Amino acid sequence: MDFDFTDDQESLRDAVRRWVDKGFSFERRHALAKAGGATRAVYTELGELGLTGLAIPEAHGGMGFGAVEAMVVSEELGRGLVNAPYAHGALVTPTLLSAAPAAVQAAWLPKIADASALVVLAHQERQARYRLNHVSARATAAGGGWTVSGAKSVVPAGDEADAFIVPARAAGAVDDDAGIGLFLVEKAGAQVRGYPTQDGARAAEVSFDKAAATLITENGHAVLEHAVDAGIAAQCAEAVGIMDKLVAVTVDYMNTRKQFGVTLATFQALRHRIADVKMQLELARSMSYFASLKMGEAAPQRRRAISQARVQLGNSMRFVGQQCIQLHGGIGVTDEYIASHYFKRLTMLEMGFGDTLHHLGEVSRRLQDTAGVFA
Amino acid sequence: MDLNFTAEELAFRRDIHDWVAANLPQDISHKVHNALRLSRDDLQRWAKILGKQGWLGWGWPKQFGGPGWNAVQKHLFEEECALAGAPRVIPFGPVMVAPVIMAFGNAEQHKRFLPGIASGEVWWSQGYSEPGSGSDLASLKCKAERRGDKYIVNGQKTWTTLGQYGEWIFCLVRTSNEGKPQTGISFLLIDMKSPGVSVRPIVLLDGEPEVNEVWFDNVEVPAENLIGEENKGWTYAKHLLAHERTNIADVNRAKRELERLKRIAKAEGIYDDMRFRDQIALLEVDIVALEMMVLRVLSAEKSGKAALDVAGLLKIRGSEIQQRYSELMMLAGGPYSVPFVHEAMEAGWQGDHVGAAHNAPLAGTFFNMRKTTIYGGSNEVQRNIVAQTVLGA
Repeated sequence: MDFDFTDDQESLRDAVRRWVDKGFSFERRHALAKAGGATRAVYTELGELGLTGLAIPEAHGGMGFGAVEAMVVSEELGRGLVNAPYAHGALVTPTLLSAAPAAVQAAWLPKIADASALVVLAHQERQARYRLNHVSARATAAGGGWTVSGAKSVVPAGDEADAFIVPARAAGAVDDDAGIGLFLVEKAGAQVRGYPTQDGARAAEVSFDKAAATLITENGHAVLEHAVDAGIAAQCAEAVGIMDKLVAVTVDYMNTRKQFGVTLATFQALRHRIADVKMQLELARSMSYFASLKMGEAAPQRRRAISQARVQLGNSMRFVGQQCIQLHGGIGVTDEYIASHYFKRLTMLEMGFGDTLHHLGEVSRRLQDTAGVFA
Repeated sequence: MDLNFTAEELAFRRDIHDWVAANLPQDISHKVHNALRLSRDDLQRWAKILGKQGWLGWGWPKQFGGPGWNAVQKHLFEEECALAGAPRVIPFGPVMVAPVIMAFGNAEQHKRFLPGIASGEVWWSQGYSEPGSGSDLASLKCKAERRGDKYIVNGQKTWTTLGQYGEWIFCLVRTSNEGKPQTGISFLLIDMKSPGVSVRPIVLLDGEPEVNEVWFDNVEVPAENLIGEENKGWTYAKHLLAHERTNIADVNRAKRELERLKRIAKAEGIYDDMRFRDQIALLEVDIVALEMMVLRVLSAEKSGKAALDVAGLLKIRGSEIQQRYSELMMLAGGPYSVPFVHEAMEAGWQGDHVGAAHNAPLAGTFFNMRKTTIYGGSNEVQRNIVAQTVLGA
């Protein structure tokens, strides 16, 4: 049992932090958001740092790192409030492609590693809520290949992506785990309607009408769960980075802002609030570690741990985000000040890959007689 | 980063597990697993079994006869004891006064007091709080006046847990009114059989006399019972608090009680009610998160790389969780938590239970647990401490 980072992991953290300090100021983020949230250029810069190849095997031009390194990078991108589809493009997609035939991996992974291609998961459907087995998009085998038809919602960076990974049903009823295939569809085969998101990026409604598709796997459900879990673990870490920075910003404000002739930090009501915020932050950090360290376990243990972590993170994100805005007072609800942007990102993160109630339901469903970190 | 214990740590855990399984009397673990009343004899029997093995002072260094375990080993020992249904060791001797005697007492005092603590022979009590000094402990008034080779002690202590069984009591006493309140306090060991000491139990809201008032009326205490220097007692008491680390969170007991909650919810037919089930799930997440935080502290202590100052957070969260599981158990009992049948909390009681035997202690345990956010520095005092760390002032 050891929660220290290795020297290599600390160097990785420093490299991301140096890039954020030099190349990703709040002014830049703010301008990107104001301009509609297109962030492909930012993603390309992350590629130049090698970060988009983090989880890709070295044989395909990546670094072949694991969940802890993904956590380190995600925390730092959170701290810098970097709006680029990193978890989706660089962590979720490579996990999905790990189930693809060798030729498909060889064709796409090197391009993903150097960020010349952005490929994102397009899985959400109307009425599916957060259920991964709710797939009504259809896949049809035709002439030695496949076509995909259906509509997917709120696809991250959907109108900036070069290709999509699309869960589509080759067999079975709409809520069956079995019969879900994963397909890669290039943007030429998709109708894409993009829009800005609340947290300064872009997403899109994406639909397919007999689009030519490359098969990744016909048994896609388990790998889809695995990839989504990788995304959740990364977003947990991103949230910890965001909260770390937001709490630091709030503490600075409490120590400088004066009312009634004294700093805000003088008032016990506010001191107790920041103590409660610190509690939620440390619980969140603990469970972010837990999520990443459980990524290597067998699916039942991994899924349960990820949902447990996600419940804690959801509760922490909501409390820390809302209370740090409250502790700021009026300046906290302005667009010009950074705190509101951290808060908006934290709020939107809750709705990626399942909200807190969804995951609480998962924890409930998976209760065992014994519990704990090692259960 | 690695979540798992090392092979040596797991082997250590197995050894502890086997030893506890072989040595913990079943009548005692039965009471603990069912929240039945523990007698002085139960508590002392287990203490002496540990003492004989040299583990009652499980946190002690080797030079004082302890096992010299590191932070992880101590945690694993506590976990194995808790999960097996061992009673909590009454901490006043081995956990609270012994480290102060070791750090600030003289060789004579080491020889005189530590063996009786290590063996479990001598029952120690704590004399800190007073009627006028709760959270503001430094305002304490219980007075010790030096006369020749004796102190004459006059005053009152209160909330003395299980003081009715106490043979010795370690007290913070006022030896000076000069300067700040903190600088006039001394750390004194008092034989409770001394003339002038009287103890009166206080019945708490669960009907149990768990704490006491202790009066000192011209009690003569030999000056050699003073620990360290006169007027330095506050520093020694703070040293004690600083060494009270992860076990304050009591996460191991919480894991055991969560298992009991699930058993009770199943027996009461409410485990499959999703509204109730979600509350258990939420508690389970809280407990896993607390355990992770404890493990982070242990890892930091083991590696010495990055100190983790979260003792206040562990106390707040641990106590909230204790209150929550006891509350959910009471709610799981539903109407059968209402009857107050005092005798039904004795093991082997032959009377007619209202509902099932497991219902009898549920409300009482809930009521008893209200103390956890009040004692050991109330959770509001803990928030003051956390805020000071976070805000830097």
